[in-house]
Amino acid sequence: MNRNGDPALTPFMQSILRPFTNIVNAIKKDRYKSLKLRLFFYIGTLAGLPLLGIAMISYFWVFNILKVEFRDHLRWQMADSQRSIESFLQEKLAGLRFLANAYSLDELSDDTILHTIFAKFRKEFGEIVDLGLINSEGIQLSYAGPYNLKGRDYSNQDWFQEVSIRGVYISDVFTGYRKMPHFAIAVRKEMPGKHGFWVLRATVDVETLNRFLSSIQLKEYDDAFIVNKDGILQTSSRFHGKMLERATLKFPVPAQDLSLMEYKREGGIRLEVGYAHIKQSSWVLGMVVQSTASSKMIELFTKDVGTLYLIIVLVIMGCIANSIITSSVVNRVQEAEQRREAAIAETEHTSKLASIGRLAAGIAHEINNPLAVINEKAGLMKDILQLIADFPNKEKFLSIVFSITDSVDRCRTITQRLLGFARRMDVSLEIIDINETIKEVIGFLEKEILYRNVHLDMNLSENLPKIESDRGLFQQVFLNIANNAIDALKDGGTLAIATGKKDEDTLQVIIRDNGHGIPKEVLKHIFEPFFTTKEKGKGTGLGLSISYGIMQKLGGTILVESEVDKGSAFTVEVPVKASIDLRGL
Amino acid sequence: MSWTKVLIVDDEVEFAAALSERLLLRDYDTKAVYNVDDAIAAIKQDPPEVLLLDLRMPGMSGIELYRTIKEFSPSIEVIFVTGQACQDGDETIPRGAFDCVMKPVDIDELTIKIDKAKQNIIKK
Repeated sequence: MNRNGDPALTPFMQSILRPFTNIVNAIKKDRYKSLKLRLFFYIGTLAGLPLLGIAMISYFWVFNILKVEFRDHLRWQMADSQRSIESFLQEKLAGLRFLANAYSLDELSDDTILHTIFAKFRKEFGEIVDLGLINSEGIQLSYAGPYNLKGRDYSNQDWFQEVSIRGVYISDVFTGYRKMPHFAIAVRKEMPGKHGFWVLRATVDVETLNRFLSSIQLKEYDDAFIVNKDGILQTSSRFHGKMLERATLKFPVPAQDLSLMEYKREGGIRLEVGYAHIKQSSWVLGMVVQSTASSKMIELFTKDVGTLYLIIVLVIMGCIANSIITSSVVNRVQEAEQRREAAIAETEHTSKLASIGRLAAGIAHEINNPLAVINEKAGLMKDILQLIADFPNKEKFLSIVFSITDSVDRCRTITQRLLGFARRMDVSLEIIDINETIKEVIGFLEKEILYRNVHLDMNLSENLPKIESDRGLFQQVFLNIANNAIDALKDGGTLAIATGKKDEDTLQVIIRDNGHGIPKEVLKHIFEPFFTTKEKGKGTGLGLSISYGIMQKLGGTILVESEVDKGSAFTVEVPVKASIDLRGL
Repeated sequence: MSWTKVLIVDDEVEFAAALSERLLLRDYDTKAVYNVDDAIAAIKQDPPEVLLLDLRMPGMSGIELYRTIKEFSPSIEVIFVTGQACQDGDETIPRGAFDCVMKPVDIDELTIKIDKAKQNIIKK
């Protein structure tokens, strides 16, 4: 692997593999995205579940309290109305009983007296429409009130039958002769010493009952009404039928004084239905309430907008916090993975260099021995040829021998570099001035610079701290890079060398040329051993590889930027205080 | 100045023989032997002034041979000739050795070193 972590492949192979590499990168990216989502969900669930649990428990808790409170309130309202109606009826009955006992039949039969009594009675008790005296045959003997009902025969009417038997009677609502809905309250009086009786009767307008019902606080969809034992509505109702018609909701005869029950109407609507028996009558006070505890709950939330907003804001803040935590965790994981991958790539690179180094040393040694033989034999031949007198083709022979020895020299350069690459570099530290060291290196190159007409632009920062490093190795690195830069330049090009501080602990040397530059696919491989773009015989492909190894050993690094046809810049970073890596390459 | 007596010890026969001849042509009193035993015998019989010693040989390494020779002929100056790097991690050239040259040998470089070794002996 090279420093970028990509396999060292030919550009052709890379172009084939590029789509796959892109897919792998996309998968990696997606993996982190999905990790983020999953983590967000898990944290949200972990944090949200207990909250949801508490919220639900609280909801049911409050709901039950509300339900009890709601029912209590309903019961209280019904009981209140029931008592009001009962005491109203009791009061009227008591009044009638008093009249029946206080006045004789004769007195009451007198219309004038009855009118007077009626006026007083009405003044005291109010809310009665008329007052009448009926004999045991059912004929109204006298009458005080707005209608002309004297002499009417009630013998066939239910209420008269009932009062004859029971003595006291409160009728259902009926329209009667007057064609107005009303009900009658009647008491029977036995005639002392004689057989027979008379009945004192008062009627009450049904509006009085309606007034009692309207005192019950009802919501939009609630209803309160009175029905008789046959289910006939005695008062008007909002939703359950018209007065004197059968109620659409069936009421059981109350088993006890007051009952409440839950009722589910079609469409799943829950209703609270309450019913209470009105004493002395056949009436049942009914209440149908749709605004149950659950609707009260909703009301509680919708009415208290502040709480609702607070909950929404808290949830949003929770989500944001969760998102921040998730992103930060996943980013850290991603960074760690990237660092790990980089470290693995680095290790692989180093290990590759090490194994190539061992291989190179082996090859160099093995080649050096036969090379030495060739060298000596050719050298000997040259010596002999130079010693003996001229003979035909002597010059040609000499030229051949020189070619051999030159080639051996080239091979020697290669094998010695291979060994230099492979050998354990013993670092000897000393305090050096980076600018002076560079000037020395430039001294080696002066002739080449002059010959190639290269413009040298030196920009060395003053007052740089002296560094602790190995002068020889350091110079080898600069010589390599500067040589490459000069090779990359056309005649008359510019070689710029600058030194400076990167930070307190690191100095940097930038060697820039405006030569042909390095293509991107080549740039990946420039630090690999034996990688060269130079002409055959001109480069071994080891210079930069060795330089990179040296800088690693010296605790520094080499960075490169390049653009085709614009030039390259090699930045050598070197620590002020050496941190030598003593592991061999 | 008399001819410098040089002994070449190298198991690579062709190399040692050719080098020996080349040095002879350059007026060095040179002899070549190709194994450790012959080397010890030759040194004992007629000790050279300068010994060109291969670093790696079968039987005994150049360094071991160097130590052996230095025991009975400490005045001999030894120049190691090696196909490897002169400063190898495992086989470092001993401190007392005069110098080291790498194969393939540059004959001019070698003769300069031999001459320096000879001068060193004269100084002593």
